[in-house]
Amino acid sequence: MLKDIIKKEILETITSAKFVFTFLLCAILILLSVYTGIVNYRADQKEFSAAVALNKKNLESQSSYQALAGLGTKINKPPQVLGAISTGVDEAVGRVATVNIAYDPSLVDSKYESNPVFSVFGALDLTFIVKIVLSLFAILFTYDAIVGEKEKGTLKLTLSNRVPRDRLILGKVIGGFISLLIPLIIPLILSLLILLVYPNISLAGQDWLRLLLMFLMFFLYLSVFFTLGLLVSARTSKSSTSFLVLLFIWVIFVTIIPKLSVMSAGRLKPIPSVHEITAKKDAFLQQIQSGAQKQVMDWAKENSAMAAKDRKGYQEKLRKFLEDWQQDLTSKIDENNAALERDYQAKKKSQERLAINISRISPASALTFSTMSFARTGLDEHERFLASIRAYKPIFTKWASAKMMRTIDFSGSGQTAKVVLDDMPQHKFEPETLSKSLARTIPDFGLMLFLIIVFFAGAYVSFLKFDVR
Amino acid sequence: MLETINLTKRYEDGQLAVDHLNFKVEPGEIFCMFGANGSGKTTTINLFLNFIPPTEGTALIEGIDVTKEPLRSKDFISFVSENVTLYGNFTAFQNLDYFTKLAGKRGLTKADYAKAMNSVGLQEEAFDVRTKNYSKGMRQKLGLAIAIVKDAPNILLDEPTSGLDPKSGQEFLNLLIQMRDKGKSIFMSTHDIFRAKLIADRVGFMKKGRLVIMKTRQELEGEDLTELYIQYMEERPESELKP
Repeated sequence: MLKDIIKKEILETITSAKFVFTFLLCAILILLSVYTGIVNYRADQKEFSAAVALNKKNLESQSSYQALAGLGTKINKPPQVLGAISTGVDEAVGRVATVNIAYDPSLVDSKYESNPVFSVFGALDLTFIVKIVLSLFAILFTYDAIVGEKEKGTLKLTLSNRVPRDRLILGKVIGGFISLLIPLIIPLILSLLILLVYPNISLAGQDWLRLLLMFLMFFLYLSVFFTLGLLVSARTSKSSTSFLVLLFIWVIFVTIIPKLSVMSAGRLKPIPSVHEITAKKDAFLQQIQSGAQKQVMDWAKENSAMAAKDRKGYQEKLRKFLEDWQQDLTSKIDENNAALERDYQAKKKSQERLAINISRISPASALTFSTMSFARTGLDEHERFLASIRAYKPIFTKWASAKMMRTIDFSGSGQTAKVVLDDMPQHKFEPETLSKSLARTIPDFGLMLFLIIVFFAGAYVSFLKFDVR
Repeated sequence: MLETINLTKRYEDGQLAVDHLNFKVEPGEIFCMFGANGSGKTTTINLFLNFIPPTEGTALIEGIDVTKEPLRSKDFISFVSENVTLYGNFTAFQNLDYFTKLAGKRGLTKADYAKAMNSVGLQEEAFDVRTKNYSKGMRQKLGLAIAIVKDAPNILLDEPTSGLDPKSGQEFLNLLIQMRDKGKSIFMSTHDIFRAKLIADRVGFMKKGRLVIMKTRQELEGEDLTELYIQYMEERPESELKP
């Protein structure tokens, strides 16, 4: 009997106009989004390679280490192949950071900077389609699953037979969910085929696992709205009421909670503005620079006698002094800036965590955060990348300062040392491992499963008591 | 056989929908229950189908208490509602097949379904048509075909002829007569006194949940059923009513 009910649910849905419409729209949107994502990824990849090559060429063409230290090296964020599925924050945050001896590095030149209009609408990636479009379809498939049958009279006719209610609701859940998955699974399989056959797209073993976990999250997310639809359908007496209630909950989940969580976190845990931090950095810089100038003048005064007696010895001593002085100066600035930055980042992170945790009440947020984590396009990955650049900054500064000081020309010949990059320390960044991403998404999996169980249990119990008249 | 013993239903808001109802529908009998809207006819059917629990008393189908053995009792009952809508995207065959399987009947062929649909007067060209394109008369006939295939000894009909054109209504009644002649116990709630008079073996009048009068076909001979109906449906003190 269960098989018959499941079969009927599937057949009834797939022969309906709403299924045909859903299937076509899903197929078009999913394939379009994945294809666009892949094309964008390829373009980003080319841009990344070109930027790395250009940076190398720029560094090599510098006339001196002083010029190189001032210009700095550019660190480009490599594009993530799974960004084709979940763009995350990658388009909103910067893609390149300049590391030089003067300023604290920060990522700039985001895609939205160059095309601000895109930030208004966001990316049309697969996560967006599942989060917005497919969740609405899940509601569309279930809002009348029970109450609609009551209105049609088929529920009475069904239950006038030897049909246990628990089996009927189980059949409706299984059949309905299979019907909902068909418009999702077929385009997803086709998308995977595109990923496989598209030239120069290579997914490592871990990437496939990440992709499967993202798909699993999509299914869980849709299950939340599917079971919610059944619950509301079993708790209302009109399908129009059921639809309105579901639409209201959907708006709360998908748009209100995520926005409110960010606003609440901002109120509950305020952080200093970037301008305040910059002002503090500038104040320290001015203070240390005036001290450092005095230090140089004192040194010159102390050693003025030597300058007249032993010019070569004096130059050598000055070089040594300047090298140490420069190292000391930059390390003090770096330490202060790093401390300010650490404090700012800690506060910012705490605010972000609060916002994320509040917004996790909504399955839409849980879906967004988890898929971003799996795609390595989330806030954490961005911060890890930025942290790696900040960690690289003192290494680069030390190397550049040492090179500058060692190549000071006191002879006045005008000759500068040729820039050699062989021993220049390279920036290293290890992407997050799958186990860490998985650990980060456990609350999201947990929330989804919790909501599915609660909604399903609610629908199940409500249907057992449902007034079929 | 269908039977009620002191069957009573009082809703949570205090409304007494069915008040100590006692009647039997014997095999091979058509029992037509009249009554104004809200008199308790449909509630009686809902009590038989165990869609609502009785406050007091018992509804029996083939001697089975529907509250004690709801699932087993449903093996012995078919139900045709006022407005059989079925699954609109399914063809008549598909609807019939689904409800037959729910009734626990297995192994029936398309020919068996065609025979049942032929017997209720559905044209063959309509078998593969989606039922959303059916007229109300066709849907009612298909509802009856479902009952025929289930072949339960008892049939409950909730105002089955309302909204049917005269021809379809007459065809429908003829089908009920055929089923009665096969020994089915048929309980029909209706407002359609003209058609009911043609087929009813007994009629009952319900008012405010109570069965106020019951008459056999013989007792009805020479009586004007319309006048009787109007008399019982009017708001008159029960003492003034003709016995």
